[in-house]
Amino acid sequence: MKEIWKVARWEFMRYVTNKQFIIGLLITPLIMVAFAGLPVLLERWNKPPEVTYYVVDDVGVLPLLEEGAPDNLHFLIPNDRDRIAEEVQEGNAAGYLLVDSTFLHTGNAYLYLSEHSTEGRGYIQAILTQFLQQWRMQEAALDWEALQYVSATAQVQVETMAHVKLPGGEEIAVSGVFVVLIYILVLSSGTMLMQSAVQEKRDRMAEVVLSSITPQTLMKGKIFGHFLLGVLQLAFWLALVIPAAIYFLDFPVWEALLKADLGMLAVFGLCGYLLYAALFVGIGATMEDIQSAGNSQGLVVMLPMLAFLFIGPVVSNPNGSVAVLASFLPFTSPVIMIMRTALTQVPLWQMAFSVGLLLLAVFAIAVMSAKIFRVGMLMYGKTASLGEIVKWLRYKEE
Amino acid sequence: MVADALVVNAVSKTYGEKRVVRDVSFQAKAGEIMGILGPNGAGKTTIIRMIMGITAPDSGTVAFQSQNRKAASVPKDLVGYLPEERGLYKEARVMHILQFLASLKNVPKPVVASRAREWLAKFGLADYANAKVEQLSKGMAQKVQFIAAVLHQPRFIVLDEPFSGLDPVSQDLFKEEIRTLAAGGAVVLLSSHQMNIVEELCDRIFLIDKGTEVVSGPLGEIREKYGTFRVHVELGKDADPLVRLPMVAGAEQVNSNRWVLYLKDHVSPEEFLRQVPPDAGVRELSITRPSLHDIFVKIATGRHGA
Repeated sequence: MKEIWKVARWEFMRYVTNKQFIIGLLITPLIMVAFAGLPVLLERWNKPPEVTYYVVDDVGVLPLLEEGAPDNLHFLIPNDRDRIAEEVQEGNAAGYLLVDSTFLHTGNAYLYLSEHSTEGRGYIQAILTQFLQQWRMQEAALDWEALQYVSATAQVQVETMAHVKLPGGEEIAVSGVFVVLIYILVLSSGTMLMQSAVQEKRDRMAEVVLSSITPQTLMKGKIFGHFLLGVLQLAFWLALVIPAAIYFLDFPVWEALLKADLGMLAVFGLCGYLLYAALFVGIGATMEDIQSAGNSQGLVVMLPMLAFLFIGPVVSNPNGSVAVLASFLPFTSPVIMIMRTALTQVPLWQMAFSVGLLLLAVFAIAVMSAKIFRVGMLMYGKTASLGEIVKWLRYKEE
Repeated sequence: MVADALVVNAVSKTYGEKRVVRDVSFQAKAGEIMGILGPNGAGKTTIIRMIMGITAPDSGTVAFQSQNRKAASVPKDLVGYLPEERGLYKEARVMHILQFLASLKNVPKPVVASRAREWLAKFGLADYANAKVEQLSKGMAQKVQFIAAVLHQPRFIVLDEPFSGLDPVSQDLFKEEIRTLAAGGAVVLLSSHQMNIVEELCDRIFLIDKGTEVVSGPLGEIREKYGTFRVHVELGKDADPLVRLPMVAGAEQVNSNRWVLYLKDHVSPEEFLRQVPPDAGVRELSITRPSLHDIFVKIATGRHGA
């Protein structure tokens, strides 16, 4: 254990002072902010245009039009009805709306536009419909209360039954954030671990180090060290994000965190990390350099993405057989199970089964990776083929 | 009290179909420098890796006998190792690397710092303690690697091709330090394909070719046993009178007036000189023992003379 800690500390110190790591630490939040902020900025730039229509109103619809109009829509009574077309041509308005007395009988109103535009058309249509219906019902001598009664819209009332707890938006948000964090931890620490194994070989340090400690100790030390680096990275980003979220968003961060099942999130997060860390460090040991990764190595690196395939089916049916299966598969379960718990009530046995399978997989992958690592770290000059890796797995423990 | 010793007993190793080490046995003792010699691909590195416990022998045993303990497995903190495939973490600083590697050998941090400075000064690297490895030349890096192998004052020192890639001045520096370490009571085992260097340094050698022992034992004894004398001579006239002497086993003409005469076993230089006719026309004469290289070639190829 002491040796594992020594390796972990060395890995931690080596990478935490590494320029690339520090730049990544600082730049990633900026990139995230840019991605999150860009749509808002675009939305702001893409403000709907200010549009003014003259209204020739012979029926008294203008007050209703003005009352609920969006901020960018303006309705004006023309100064001179005879010059109305010229005024529009001169650009004083985008067009004019003609609602003459025939409207009440024919239902036809006319919108004359200086150029093609859809701005406000839906709104005008809706208001005129409402006005027309009201006028006609009054004309048919229906009283106001009866009118209200007849024209009432239906409301679907959602009631949850007492023993079934449906997660609220806050829990979904916390789970979503956790899923993203696990991904970042797995991808960034996993890649760094792989690089670290490759570098140890490239720098020809493996044999010197392995004359002092066992390959398993070296591997565990690396996994632990990069876990600490990953946690540091996440803690640093969260330290930036949480105050920002509290300040800018109307979201009860602390309440949401307290409500979330942090124990479950931690178990799946940690197991997910260990699974992929063991896998990546073993794969790193088979490679001469990152660029020379063969198909088999490339496929393994893509494994964390597998969960993306299931996100759609899980969201639309979190208790469906696809979702249940994906929350059992060790390579997808950390992400999918967290998603499912946010969306539905997952039976306890499923949770336990999933954790059990995941732990088994972590153990199996760690044993296999240790075998690969032991041989791979001392092999120089080429990237191992799949056949060779299989052969290494068959070597009995020396 | 038993002196430290490294005992390799009948180890063999096969990779796939190829038997790379066959039934190798030898001992290296405290205070002595033991050299494993042989051409490239002879099996030296495989033997060393088996000694270091990095690969396991298919059969046979390796034992580290120490004053303190007898260990079947490698006593990691008592062993210093300089592998053939060696390097340093490129982006790390010299002192940090030395501290990390020494920490794996359980040396306390303050002790490491002072010892490391002493060694760096000895190798002329005092100003490079805080330099990054990428700033070092290849020779400098090799010195740092050597320091890393001996910093924890190991009782057993295993050096795989320690001289390859070094300039002659650094080679002499390494030789001197290796001698000092052995004189201090450590068991030193080194491998090399450069026989001339090892010839000057080793007390005991193990010559290997194609995975099997060619010859082993104290260097003096081997030279005594296989080292028939040779006479380099420049003559003013015909070489016949010398070549026909009964104590000469064979002769080789180097050019028109230079010859090499190979004396029969157990013939001493004095005996030969007494038999040289006074009118042989000798202009220049020197008598030498064959080099290890020659002995190796002689035994390995079964060739006589050359």
